[in-house]
Formats: sequence, structure tokens, C-alpha cells
Amino acid sequence: MAVNELTLLVVIPLGISIINIFIPSILRKILTFLGLCYLLFLNYNLFIIPAGDAYLFNEVIFSLDKLGFFTIAFIQILSFIILIFSLKGVVKSIEKQFFVLYPMTVAFCNGAVLSAHALGLLIFWGLTGITLYLFGVLGQTKDAPKTAKKTFIIVGGSDAFLILGFVLIWFLQPASAWSLWNVQLELSGQLAYIAFFCILIAAFTKAGGFPFHTWVPDFSKDAPVESVALLPASLDKLLGIYLFARIVLSLFVLNFGIHLMLITLGALTIIIAVMMAMIQHNGRKLLGYLAISQAGYMIMGVGCGSWMCANGDIKGGSIVALVGGLFHLVNDAICKANLFLTLGSVEKKTGTNDLDKLGGLGKSMPVIFTMALISALSISGIPPFSGFFSKWLIYQGVLDLAKNMSPGYQIWLLICLILAVFGSALTLANFMKFLHSIFLGKRPKTLDNIKETSANHWIATGLLATLCIVFGLFAMQIPIKHFIMPIVVEHGWAIPTLIGSYNPILVILFFGLAFLIGLVIYLFTKNVRYDEIYLGGMEPLEKFRVVGTEFYNEIRNMVPLRSLYDGAEKKYFDVYDLGSKGSFSLARLFRSIHRGQLQLYSLWIIVGVLILLWIVK
Amino acid sequence: MIGWKIFYLLVFPGLLFTGVLGLIVGWVDRKLSARLQFRVGPPFFQNFNDFLKLLGKETIIVKDSIKSVFVATPLAAFGFLVLISTMIGLALFFHEGFVGDLFVIMYLLMIFSVLVILGGSSTGNVYSSIGSGREIKLLLADELAFILICLIPIIKSGYQIQLKNILEVQSVQGPFISSVSGAIAFVIGILCIQAKMTLPPFHIPEAETEIVGGPYMEYSGPLLAFWQLNHYMMFVIYPFLLIALFLGGFDLHGIGILWAVLKYLLIIVIMILIKNTNPRIRIDTALNFFWRYATPISFIGIILAVFGV
Repeated sequence: MAVNELTLLVVIPLGISIINIFIPSILRKILTFLGLCYLLFLNYNLFIIPAGDAYLFNEVIFSLDKLGFFTIAFIQILSFIILIFSLKGVVKSIEKQFFVLYPMTVAFCNGAVLSAHALGLLIFWGLTGITLYLFGVLGQTKDAPKTAKKTFIIVGGSDAFLILGFVLIWFLQPASAWSLWNVQLELSGQLAYIAFFCILIAAFTKAGGFPFHTWVPDFSKDAPVESVALLPASLDKLLGIYLFARIVLSLFVLNFGIHLMLITLGALTIIIAVMMAMIQHNGRKLLGYLAISQAGYMIMGVGCGSWMCANGDIKGGSIVALVGGLFHLVNDAICKANLFLTLGSVEKKTGTNDLDKLGGLGKSMPVIFTMALISALSISGIPPFSGFFSKWLIYQGVLDLAKNMSPGYQIWLLICLILAVFGSALTLANFMKFLHSIFLGKRPKTLDNIKETSANHWIATGLLATLCIVFGLFAMQIPIKHFIMPIVVEHGWAIPTLIGSYNPILVILFFGLAFLIGLVIYLFTKNVRYDEIYLGGMEPLEKFRVVGTEFYNEIRNMVPLRSLYDGAEKKYFDVYDLGSKGSFSLARLFRSIHRGQLQLYSLWIIVGVLILLWIVK
Repeated sequence: MIGWKIFYLLVFPGLLFTGVLGLIVGWVDRKLSARLQFRVGPPFFQNFNDFLKLLGKETIIVKDSIKSVFVATPLAAFGFLVLISTMIGLALFFHEGFVGDLFVIMYLLMIFSVLVILGGSSTGNVYSSIGSGREIKLLLADELAFILICLIPIIKSGYQIQLKNILEVQSVQGPFISSVSGAIAFVIGILCIQAKMTLPPFHIPEAETEIVGGPYMEYSGPLLAFWQLNHYMMFVIYPFLLIALFLGGFDLHGIGILWAVLKYLLIIVIMILIKNTNPRIRIDTALNFFWRYATPISFIGIILAVFGV
């Protein structure tokens, strides 16, 4: 009997993970590499011939629709490329645990996406949270255990909301029978709203949406860099936005107010996270905040999806924004994974990710610098790289939605759009700080002997950078046509005529032609002499070095941003910190009223029973 | 078809036209500035002579710099500016779209600052790094107001984002500057382009008397010639963009040609007057000015535009 391919996507990596416990290091790497190669091959097969559903006890357990295929495809592609990076350079003391957890995470992520049943999704979703925690524990910093705990509590807590959400859906619509497809629950009544918000919290927490994003920067700082590239930067974001898209497309029928709320939350996520990134001195934390910020574009784009006109037809702009949101998910996962990996390469060579201690490495690590530059420009939305195309689609979608609305709502949507467009400029500013701090400016003396990193780092980062370019130049022909349009078509929709025009291939060709003319003039006229830095006769001393982290001190100290930044640094806006402070205050209150006196305990029991009777009356 | 596109790019309204007009307008700037300061000013061909002379000079490259980045950035900036000038010029002169819409132009314009920072910082010079930091802060300062003023013509044209469509709407309804929101956007737009071109009082990243040219400090010979040419080309690109967005573009028939020249000269003269009557401000003052005053005023413009005022 032929084994269902969908089952293999879960069983094979899980099997590899178990075998990896018992075999030596080199075999572990070979087996994991071959296993993920096979998963890629399976994925290609699924692209050519869609697989049938997988059954267990006559119940469909795994099934794959177009949204699922889109997510699964990029889970395999990204986990394969990040594995290439991890083949050499993982800290020896954690290598075994790492190669056990790595395929296990891929298996659980695949399982979560393939699950046709909400219970299956809940189980695999929870398991991905556990592997996330275990990766966090493998971190080498002193804060790693604390961060792993924080991550587990936030992500685990969101799992509880997810369970509650699905129970409520089943309660409100028993006919849905825990299905994830075509539930289409109307948002009417308190319970439906509670169910919606519960599942939304789970999706936002996984993807890093505001205000449940606070685990991402800490995890990014303390966990092994390969696991950061794998989980919060790519797979968790794919899962979170996958669930979010499920909410929008098949679980609920959203109303006008909810669409507007989602777009607003997207805009807030973009701007708050990117402003926080400006004051970071730790490279990984900076990238963590930028990863959150990009989730805002996805929330904004996907949140527009399925927006109905009064006559029940879908609004054209919402489809454009949905396509842009899903495309941005892919772009961000690729670029952010690459940026974490390039920083990881630097970190492994220099022993630090503190931006204040780095600088001038572009000359000694030109390949890694180029890969980081391409990814940074792409995710900042610079044409003709891929990040621009997805943002451009989202902007058009939002403008198209605003077009026929009342002035008040037009202004509201325009504010969200302004925040998103300005968010791009802020992202670019952050990446200029990031690139300047690591690769540009004057190199500290301590980094004089730094050389390029190993070949597997070049290959992995090179592949990701190539995807940034190819997906930018051939956006319509490759990612949108083969991965995203099928989702739109499956719902019976079609992309309307775009209000804008953009041809990335012509942009690069015509830019290239003009650049070439400039280059020819330069080459014909050049007469080069090499000399030392000119500082008006002074020595270029180390104390004159400018680090990029100082770039935004003026913005940090502006009123009222200063007090907001002060508050954020003291974690006043961190849900985890607020939650733990609240819990401890509550615990202190309960401790103070439980003094070991029998009379008091009797009194609390009576009060408790009375409250229960009042609730169930 | 592709032959015409290459002609547009390389001859008119792209490379040759923008380059030559930029150098001429650069002379107007220098001459008028000189007259305002009771000096004689340079002869007409001075900018052409400067450019050609610099091409023949030695290129000094810092030994410890990232050479490829140092060399490629002024040339890449030149490539992008030629592309942008063609996009705006084709819409203005021929009412045609070329490879992208207003969002594409807005994002391509940001690349110039990126290239200035990359080129300057690739040398490791402390002054260049300070200038680079200022360049990106200035971009942040003016970009928010710039986004807002670009949205006003989009709203007023019924949410069109292609320049040719925005111009078509203006040819029917009249230039957007004739409305309150359009006038507000035009005024803020002039200040934004002053900052984008780092002209006084926003020449903070270069600040020659303070940080010796900032990102351009280590540049010499042909590479410096390209940075200067880029700068002069922006004297064409930004005013043309404002003309397309707010002044109804060009009508190159009969008296329309005179109007077209006057519109362009009006913007150039305003820019030169601002340049010559204001001292350099600090970067935090620029941030405060754009974020506290220019942005809220532009936002009022957006509200008025939504209400059709």
C-alpha cells in the first residue's frame, strides 16, 4: 500500500529526529540534509500532482488546500536553506540537541499546516511551541533560560486561547465538526467575537503581531542564531500568518469594523516595532523588532482579504492587498532569515553581536556584506527587489478600499497607509544603522584579522539573497502565479486590474543601461591613486570611530518620544511583564488574606460558594 | 518600441536632457546666488567645464575602503536618477507611463540617500560617517511630510497613482495647486525637496565648514564629477515632480511653452531664494521642523483633499 505523501511530510522529519538521538555527529548532519532534500522533492511532487487526503480510523487527518500548499512549500524551502547554514558552525555543546530539534520542528510545523481537523492543528501547534522553548533553552547567554521561560509562557498562553477559540466555534456551529475549512462563522453575538479574538491572539502571538510580540526580540537575542532564523524569522511567521489567513478566508465572515481593526493593528505593529528597533544596540534584537514590524504589513494585507461590498461581492482592493500580504510573508521570511544568518556569520567570526563593538567588516567579509545588503534593501522595499512588490500591492489594495468610503473612513485608512509607507523609510533607516554598525565605517583594531566565513554560510545566504532578487524581478511569473494566485482562484476570485503600474525587469534593465554608461565614462577617465584617510592632517584614531548606534540619538531624545522610549525600556508596554506583575500582585493579595486562621478560611469558602451561586443562577 | 524607450532613457527626457538642463540650472543657481551676494558669479559653461575637468583629474581611493562600494555608488545613483528623470519626464512631456507609478518613484528616490550613505561610509572616514548619519536622519525628517504631500494629488485625482493619470485629471479639473489642499502640499513640497536635495538650510549632511563635505569628503576626480552631476540632475527631477503633481504638467503648444518655462523657473527661483536667505540648521531642528510643523500641516491638507477642498 502506498503511503500518503502528506503523512510522509510529518513522519520523515520526525523519524530523522528520533534517529538523530542515537547516531554520531556527521551521520546526523547527512541524514538531516538528505531528509530535508527528500521533503523538498516531495513538495515538488505535490506541486505537480496534488496529493489525496490522509486518513486515520476513517477520519481525514491531513489534507492540503492551496493556502496549505503555499505555507508548506516555503516551510520546506526555508528549513532546507537554513539547514545548509547550520551544517557547520553550530556550537559543539548543543549540536546534538539542535539536530534532534531541527527536523522535529519541521515535522510539527508541517503537521500543523496539513491538519484538516482543529484538534490536529492544536496538537501540532502546541508541539511547535515546545520545540521553540527547547531551542530557547539551548541559548548560550545568561538570559537564555529566562527568555525561554518568557517565550513558553507567552506562546503557551496563546495556545490556551486557541483551544478556547476552537471549542467556542464547535459550540456555536457544531456542524463544522472541528473542520478548519469553510466554517464561515458569522461574527454575531459575544461568543463568536470571543472565539474570533481567541484565535486571533494565537495567530498574532506566533507571527509577532502587536501587542503579543514581546517574546520575539528577547528570543532573537538569546537563542542560537540558526534557531532564530528558523523559527521567529520564518517558520513561526509562516504558521502565524497561515492561521491568520485561515481566520480571514475560511473560519469567520468578518465585518467592516473587524477589517478596519486588523488594518489598524497592522499599521500599529509596523510603526511601534520599527521605532523600537531604532534604539537597539544588540544586532539580533534590532532584527527581532524589524521582524515584528514586517508582520504588520502582512496583517494589514491579509486583514483586508475577503472584504465584501454591500451586494456581497468581494472588493477588488482587498484581493490585491491579500495577495500582497501573503507575498510579503514569503519575502520577509526569506529576507529576515538571511539577515539573521548573515549576522550569525559575523557573530561566529567576531564573537559578538553588540553593534557598538563591530564595524568596517565589509572589506574583510564582502560576500556576507553583499548578502546582507541585498536582503536589507529588499525588505526595506527598494525596487526592484522582492519586498517592494509586496508592499506596492498592499498599498494599492488599501487605496482601492479607501476610494469609495465615507470621508472619515478614508482618512482612517489613509493614516494606516501613511504609517505603512513611512514604516518603510524607518525600516531602511534601521538597516542603514545595522549595515553601518557592522560592515561600514572604521573597523575597530580588535577585528583586524577577521576573514570571510565558511562556504556553507555563503551558499545559504547566497540562495536566500538570490530568492530576494528573483522574486522581485519575476514576482508575477513565479511566486504570485504558482503559489498565491491558486489561493485566490480556489476562492473563486480574480485579481482586478491594478491601479498602478510597475515593471521590475524594465527597471533593472534601464537602470543597468544608465549605470553601464556611467561605468564606461569612469573606466575611460579613471586615473587611480590609493591613499590614507584624510582627516585634516590628524591620525584616524580609534577614539574618533563613529558607531551606527549613535545615529538616532536625536530621535530617541525628542519629546514625547523620550518618555515613550523610557517606558518601553522599563518594559511598561510588555504584556508578559505586565501580566507577571499583575499575577504577583494578585498572589500577594491572596497570601495576605490567607493567614492560617480556620475562621477566615471558612469565610472565604462561604463567599466563594455565594459567588458561584450568583454566576450560575 | 524598445528602441524608443532607449531613446527616452538616454536622450530625451532622460540622461542627455536631464544632465544638460541640470548643469544649466546649476549655473542659474550659482549665478543668482552670486548676484544675491553682490558677486559676479561664474560664466554660463562653468558647470560643464567643472564636470569635464573633474573627469580628467586623479581618483584618490582610500586604501582601507570597500573599493567596489566606493566606486559603484555614485554611478548607481546616476543610473537611478536617469531612470527617475525618464519616468517623470515621459509623463510630463508625452503623458506616458514608463516602468512604474508614483509609489515606484517615491521608493526609487529613497535609494539616493542609501547610496550616499553606503559610498561615504565605505571609506571609514569619521566625517563621512557623521554625514551619513545626518543624511539618513534628514531622509526620515522630510520623508513623512513628502509621503503626505504625494498622497494629496492621489486623493484629488480619485485615487490614481500613475503620473499620467494624475496629469489627465488636472488637465480636466485644473492644476491641483488651485485648491487649498493642493496649495498647502505645494508649499510643503518645496521645503521637502529643499531637504531632499540637501540645499541650505538643510545642507546638514555635507556641512562643508563643519564636517568637510560629510559623505562626499573622500571623493575626487570622475566619481566626484558624477556626484555633482547627480546633484544637478535633481534640480530637474524634483521640480518636474512638483509640476506634475500640483501645477498641471506642461502644455507644449503655443503660449503653453512659456508657461512651462515659467512654472519651472518659479520653483527654481523659490529654491534659490530659500537657499540664500537661510543659515544651516541643526539636524534636531530639521527633525522638529518637519515632524512638528510640516507633517501636521500636510495632514490638514490630506483632510481637506478628502473633503474635496
